[in-house]
Amino acid sequence: MSSKALLVFLSSVALYAQQPSTKNGEWPYYTADLKGAKYSPLDQIDASNFNKLEVAWRFKTDNLGPRPEYKLEGTPLMVKGVVYATGGTRRSVVSLDAKTGEVNWVYSLREGNRAAIAPRQLSGRGVSYWTDGKGDDRVVFVTTGYRLVALNAHTGQPVVGFARNGMVDLKEGMVTGAGRQIDLETGEAGLHSTPLVVKDVIIVGSSFKEGMTVVTHNNTKGLVRAFDARTGKLLWTFNTIPRPGEFGNDTWENGSWTTNGNTGVWTQMTVDEDLGLVYLPVESPTSDFYGGERPGNNLFAESLVCVDLRTGKRKWHYQVVHHPIWDYDLSSAPILADINVGGKPIKAVALPSKEAFLYVFDRVTGQPVWPIEERPVPQSDVPGEKTSSTQPFPTKPPAYGRQYLKIPDDLIDFTPEMRAQAKDAVARYRTGPMFLPPAIGDANMLGALTLGTAGGGTNWPGAGYDPETHIVYAQANQSALFPISLRTPPDGFSDIRYVMGRNGTDFRVSEGPGFGTAADAPRQQRRPAARAAVPPAAPAPRAPVANAGALTVQGLSIVKPPYAVISAINLDRGDLQWQVPYGETPDVVRNHPALKGRDIPNTGQGGSVGLVVTKTLVILGDSQVTTTPSHPRGAMLRAYDKATGKQVGAVWMPAPQSGSPMTYMADGKQYIVVAVSGGAYSGEYIAYALP
Amino acid sequence: MRFRSASFGLPLALLAAGLAAQSSRSVWEGVYNSGQAARGGELYANACASCHGTALTGGESAPPLAGGDFLSNWNGLTLGDLFERIRISMPADSPGKLTREQDADVLAYILSFNQFPAGKSELVRQTEALKEIRIEPKP
Repeated sequence: MSSKALLVFLSSVALYAQQPSTKNGEWPYYTADLKGAKYSPLDQIDASNFNKLEVAWRFKTDNLGPRPEYKLEGTPLMVKGVVYATGGTRRSVVSLDAKTGEVNWVYSLREGNRAAIAPRQLSGRGVSYWTDGKGDDRVVFVTTGYRLVALNAHTGQPVVGFARNGMVDLKEGMVTGAGRQIDLETGEAGLHSTPLVVKDVIIVGSSFKEGMTVVTHNNTKGLVRAFDARTGKLLWTFNTIPRPGEFGNDTWENGSWTTNGNTGVWTQMTVDEDLGLVYLPVESPTSDFYGGERPGNNLFAESLVCVDLRTGKRKWHYQVVHHPIWDYDLSSAPILADINVGGKPIKAVALPSKEAFLYVFDRVTGQPVWPIEERPVPQSDVPGEKTSSTQPFPTKPPAYGRQYLKIPDDLIDFTPEMRAQAKDAVARYRTGPMFLPPAIGDANMLGALTLGTAGGGTNWPGAGYDPETHIVYAQANQSALFPISLRTPPDGFSDIRYVMGRNGTDFRVSEGPGFGTAADAPRQQRRPAARAAVPPAAPAPRAPVANAGALTVQGLSIVKPPYAVISAINLDRGDLQWQVPYGETPDVVRNHPALKGRDIPNTGQGGSVGLVVTKTLVILGDSQVTTTPSHPRGAMLRAYDKATGKQVGAVWMPAPQSGSPMTYMADGKQYIVVAVSGGAYSGEYIAYALP
Repeated sequence: MRFRSASFGLPLALLAAGLAAQSSRSVWEGVYNSGQAARGGELYANACASCHGTALTGGESAPPLAGGDFLSNWNGLTLGDLFERIRISMPADSPGKLTREQDADVLAYILSFNQFPAGKSELVRQTEALKEIRIEPKP
């Protein structure tokens, strides 16, 4: 080796050593690493001591905005002894000492009305980190108002040399129709997820308003863009709704690509640095439940798309739902897994989903590792809707959660009376297998009763993966009933033929979660006269007949437990290694008068949460609070043995886990940080460590 | 599997029991009346149903306001806690839009929908007074 080559080699080794990594006890990406694994090799906290964990520090986010946030969804990063996170109704960024939680700096951008009307509000999922390895260290994040901001990681000040004064206006280049630039102030675009930082590239997705009661099907079009991490310069754009001449444009029949929007990437992306390939999980097109304005399969909606890191050009794609009308989205970070199937090494990508299928592909070629079959599915009877005749069904691994409501098998059966009442409750809905299409509903027929669609399976917190054992760990909600009923919108409300609702009943606009709760959302004056605003023709008070259509019996879900499960899915074999109920029996079941004296096995609890995988444990917290003989009112952060699924420890939290946990090592001590909030408890990050 | 640890569970449990004991009434004692719930139903339909659903089942992210998930979230707290949560952060599209009286009406409707018994008098609008009413499973 020449001296010059040696110098290059040594400096690249030095640079590598500077790169943050879980190997150094850090947690430098939302998903721990670029592969989406949420895996840390730390082992100080294990089955023998998990119960001894204590609160090391806590950070309340109430004052990061004019009012508290009750839906803190962030996962902090930890790099070089510093924790970085977002919080509060203004989505501020905080830098905290990893050992004490002391504040180093706080940054927030006052975006006024632009943030107030943003489609993705509140504090989001967190930040990303970039370093040149020589002291230029940056924290990048997307504001509520959809700006990409680069901050000096040491000072919290915007990096002057990055784009314009440290920020890129991400609304520039967003379009509706065939190419009309959206208004930079009022145009619809936002993002909750963290940017994907790889090498010197920052990749950013896009998301929009909820698609239930859209005012137009021609809303902003989704896209994914890459920017130079040093300068903020745009490197490439991938159109998730392909333009003329681009692959897939013909799957928008009748030129409907010009009149439809959405189809962003709102969850975390992953990347194979060595192969130079990026994996984009694309969401639903407009609208979530009616596709009559967009005949065809609608690529790349609900597709996993692999693009070249340098150019953004498509390498391959796989559409997991054709002509999407169930709000399946693609909710979770794809997981990059180097597996071994039948003696053959495969560089795979595994996609957890709301469908509770784990779709597994060769990540180089896009070929399914196990066959995925196109099977006939029920067809829509909604006028103008043309559903796909088939949908993809993976043959392996098996579904890791409930995918539809099987009548009567999936109905509550604690007592015969409850089963009978549940049958009555569903009688006013249409029921059927997976891919049961939305139905036009009214006061008598309440719509298509789906389960495992919008809120099913694995949602935005995603799953985790152990690169040593080739096992995916996924939590799946299997009690999320979702009635899908369509109706004609009121005159002048929308250009789409059907929106969510029931004909002959009051029309309600469905806003997304958190909409209007941004820091700058106008706090309307209290209006004592608001009662008078109720139309004179308002229907009779609902209270006396309140339970019509309710999907509960005697206060319990009509769905049979377990309400949610945790699964270990072996990717070498394509099977379930174990599956256990997630969490513990809710109070309402444990204390139910009709079940007194009965020994009810753990029912688990509904909800979608993320997890962290360590050397020996899978760690995730409850989504609900409980009060039991063994712990006071609260939610538990639980540790499960990776090999068996057996719970080996639990520690008390004051409120449910609302953001995915993470772990790191600082000064020889391992910490677990989790975001908690919900109900009466406003957002808080809590760090646990051994005494 | 049940969590087992006596190290902190007992003192905290006693503390929680002590706090609960300070509250003098229960939601099972007829703490609202049907007229108030009916007013609350109208308000709910206009201000809450778009996210929480007409059957209070919740939406994609808005939590349910009826049934087991809802009660699990609030058992052990008081109507004052639930009232404050509504007052501070709801309705999501314009927090603080409703008056305290209206928030109390909506709360009465939620209680009615969850089949807590109605009584003779209305729920009051003072947080402190509402904190005297425990949310708890059926005795």
